[in-house]
Amino acid sequence: MSAQTTSMRDALYEAPGPKTKRRTAIGTVVSLVLLGVAIFFIIRQFYITDQLNERYWSFLLEWTTWRFLLEGLWGTVRVAAVSGVISMALGLLLMLGRISNSKVLSAICRVLTDLFRSLPSLLLIYFFFLVIPKYGLRMPPFWMLTIPISLAASGVLAEVFRAGVNAVPKGQVEAAMSIGLTHGKIVWKIVLPQALRIVIPSLVSQLVVVVKDTTVAYVVSFPDLMQNARVLISNYDALVSMYFVVAIIYILINYAINHLSIYLAHRSGNKIISRETENPL
Amino acid sequence: MAASDTAIIQMHHVDKHYGQLHVLQDINLDVHKGEVVVLIGPSGSGKSTLCRTINRLETIDSGEILFEGKPLPQEGKELAAYRAEIGMVFQSFNLFAHKSILDNVTLGPREVLKTPKDVAEKEAMELLERVGVAEQAHKVPAQLSGGQQQRVAIARSLAMHPKAMLFDEPTSALDPEMINEVLEVMVELAREGMTMVVVTHEMNFARRVSNRVVFMADGQIMEEASPDEFFDHPKTDRAKDFLDSIRGH
Amino acid sequence: MGVGEVVAEFGGVYVQSLLSTWLMTIVCFLGGLALGVLITVMRVSPIKPLRVVGDFYVQVFRNIPTISLLVIFVYALPYLGLLLEYRACLIVCIILVVSSFASENFMSGINAIGVGQIEAARSVGLSFVQIVRLIVIPQALRTTVLPMTNLLIATLLTTAMGSQVPLTPPELTGMVNYVNARSVAGISAFVVSAICYAGTALVIGFLGNKLDKKVRIVR
Repeated sequence: MSAQTTSMRDALYEAPGPKTKRRTAIGTVVSLVLLGVAIFFIIRQFYITDQLNERYWSFLLEWTTWRFLLEGLWGTVRVAAVSGVISMALGLLLMLGRISNSKVLSAICRVLTDLFRSLPSLLLIYFFFLVIPKYGLRMPPFWMLTIPISLAASGVLAEVFRAGVNAVPKGQVEAAMSIGLTHGKIVWKIVLPQALRIVIPSLVSQLVVVVKDTTVAYVVSFPDLMQNARVLISNYDALVSMYFVVAIIYILINYAINHLSIYLAHRSGNKIISRETENPL
Repeated sequence: MAASDTAIIQMHHVDKHYGQLHVLQDINLDVHKGEVVVLIGPSGSGKSTLCRTINRLETIDSGEILFEGKPLPQEGKELAAYRAEIGMVFQSFNLFAHKSILDNVTLGPREVLKTPKDVAEKEAMELLERVGVAEQAHKVPAQLSGGQQQRVAIARSLAMHPKAMLFDEPTSALDPEMINEVLEVMVELAREGMTMVVVTHEMNFARRVSNRVVFMADGQIMEEASPDEFFDHPKTDRAKDFLDSIRGH
Repeated sequence: MGVGEVVAEFGGVYVQSLLSTWLMTIVCFLGGLALGVLITVMRVSPIKPLRVVGDFYVQVFRNIPTISLLVIFVYALPYLGLLLEYRACLIVCIILVVSSFASENFMSGINAIGVGQIEAARSVGLSFVQIVRLIVIPQALRTTVLPMTNLLIATLLTTAMGSQVPLTPPELTGMVNYVNARSVAGISAFVVSAICYAGTALVIGFLGNKLDKKVRIVR
C-alpha cells in the first residue's frame, strides 16, 4: 500500500501519448523560464537595494558571529529539550488520567488536555511573564519560557499518546485479561510499552512545534537563537542578511527533525500522528 | 453464442517490459465478436497485464493492438471514448467510494454519454435489478458485501453498453460463498453474446462458458485451445503442471 | 481586578479584539486554503519543475517558525523595497504558513484515494478533467475535513503572533498586554482571552466533527 500511496500523484496521469509528451515538455521549458525570471528578479531586488553589499554579509565569515549564534542555538536546544521532556511526561500523565477508571479524574484530564490544546503558547507565555509575577512569584526567564511551551505541547501529546494506546490491537488487551491481569497491570505491562513504540515517530515530529514555540524567547529576554540574532543585528547593522540566515537555520533544523520522524515511522511501519491528523476538540 | 469471424480485438506481436522483467512476450491474440476468451496461468504469468493493455490501463512497448480494425487511441478524448466502449471489471471492484450504488452506475452514462438523469437512473435500476442488488441502490459501496459490490461493478460497466468486457480476476478477492453469485451474472452475459476476456482461476467457469482458453506462463502464450481440449489434453508440460497444481495432485 | 471588572472596563475592546481575531482567522484560513490549492495543483502537475517548486515551498513554510517569517516581513522586506502594514504582514505570513499545511492535507487526501478509483474512472470513459472533478476533488475534500478543522484551530492559535506587532484593536493575546499595561488586572485578562480561544476552538472542533461524520468516506 505504501508504494501505491507514494505514487498517487503519478497515478493521476496516464502513461503519456505523443501529444501529452510534447505538452509536458513545453510546460517544463516554460516553467523553467518563469522560474529563472523570478529568481533573477529576486536577486536583482537584493542588488538594487544594496543588500548584496559585502558589508552586510562579511560578518558571517567571522567565528565570533557563529559562536554567538551557536550560544543562542544552545539556548534554543535547552528550552526545546527540556520542554520536550516535560511535555511528554505531562502528556503521558494527562492521557493516563483520561483512560483511568475514575470518572472525575478522567473528566479533569480531558478538560485540561483540550484547554492546553486550544490556547496559543504565546498566551501561556504572557501568563507566566506578565501575570504570575504580579502574584509575587519570580521565575528565571528559562522557566517562564519552558513551562508554558511544555503546557501547550502536553495537550497535543496527550492526544498523540491516546491515539497510540488506541492503535494497540484489541486482542492484546483481551489476551492479557484472559490470563487474569488487572486493569493497572494491563496498562503498564501490555498497552503502554506497545503504545510508546507506536508513537515514537509522532513524538519526534512534535518537536518541530516545540522548536517553533521557542522563537518568542525574546519576550522573556531569554537568549535563544532568535534573540542573539537580534543582538547581532544591532551590532553589525545587517538586519536583512541576519534574519534570512536565522530563518534558514530554523528551517533546516525543523526539516531535519521532520525527516528523522519520517525515517523512524518508515522503519517501524507506524504512522505519524500529528495535530493535523488527530481528532479536533 | 456462436462466435462470428470478425476479430473485434487483435493483438499483434505485443511486447512489454517492467524494467528487466519481460512481462509480455510476442503476444498474438484475436478475440472475435461474441466470443468468451479465458486467460489462465500461474500468478506472474502476465495474464492480468495482457487484459489491462486492451483498454490501455497498461501501455505496451512494441507491437500493436487493434479494436474493430483500428489501433488503440494513445491519449485524450479518443482514448476516453474508446474506453467507454469497453467494460472493465476489477479484482478489487473499485466502486467509487463516495457515491451511492445508483450513482456509481449512472455516473458514466450521465457524464460520458450525456444520458438525461431520469433515463440513466431508470436504466441503472433495471441493471441493478438484473444483477440482483436493486434494494441496495441507495447505499454506499462499503455497506455492501464483496459479491454485491462486484455485481454492481458489472452493472456499472453494462450501463455504458460496451462492445466488449474485460474481467481482471473478478472473483479472486471474494469469499468462497460469494463467488458463484458473480459467476452467475457472468454466465448470463456470455449467454447473451457479450464479447468477454476473462482472467480467472475459476476452472469450472472456463470449461463451462468459454469458447477458448488461453494459457499463459512467463509472459508468453503457451497454449490456445478449446476448453475441452485444453483441460483434457494439455499439450505443454507447463500447462500439465499448472492443471495438476490447481487440481491438487 | 476580577474577571467581571475587566469585562466591565474593557468589554468593548474585548469584543472588538475577539471579532478581529475571528476575522483574521477566517481571512488567513481561506487565503491559506486558496493558496494551498494552487500549491497542491503545482505539486501534482506532470511538470517536474512545478512539482519541485511546490515541494520546496511546502518544506520552507511548514518548517519556518511564524515569528521568524513575521520579522522578515516587518523588518527585512522594507529594506528590499517592500513595505507592508503590520496587519498585512501578519496576514500574509500566516497565509503562507497555513497554505503549506493545507497543501500537505490535500496531498494526503489525494494519497488516500487509491489507484483503483482512478483506473475505474478511466475505464468508464471519463476524461482527465472529469476524473479530477468527479472523483479526485470530492474524495480528497471529504477525507480532509478533520485535518482542515485542526488547521483552522491552528490558524486561530497562530493569530496570537499578532501580539508581536502593534495592532488596533489588539488581538486576543495582545489584549493581555493591553489590559495589563492599563490596570492591575492580573489573572483576569488572561482568563477572558483564554475563554475566548478555548470557546472558539471548541465550536470549530464540534462543527468539524459533525461535518466529518456527514461526509466521511467509508472505505
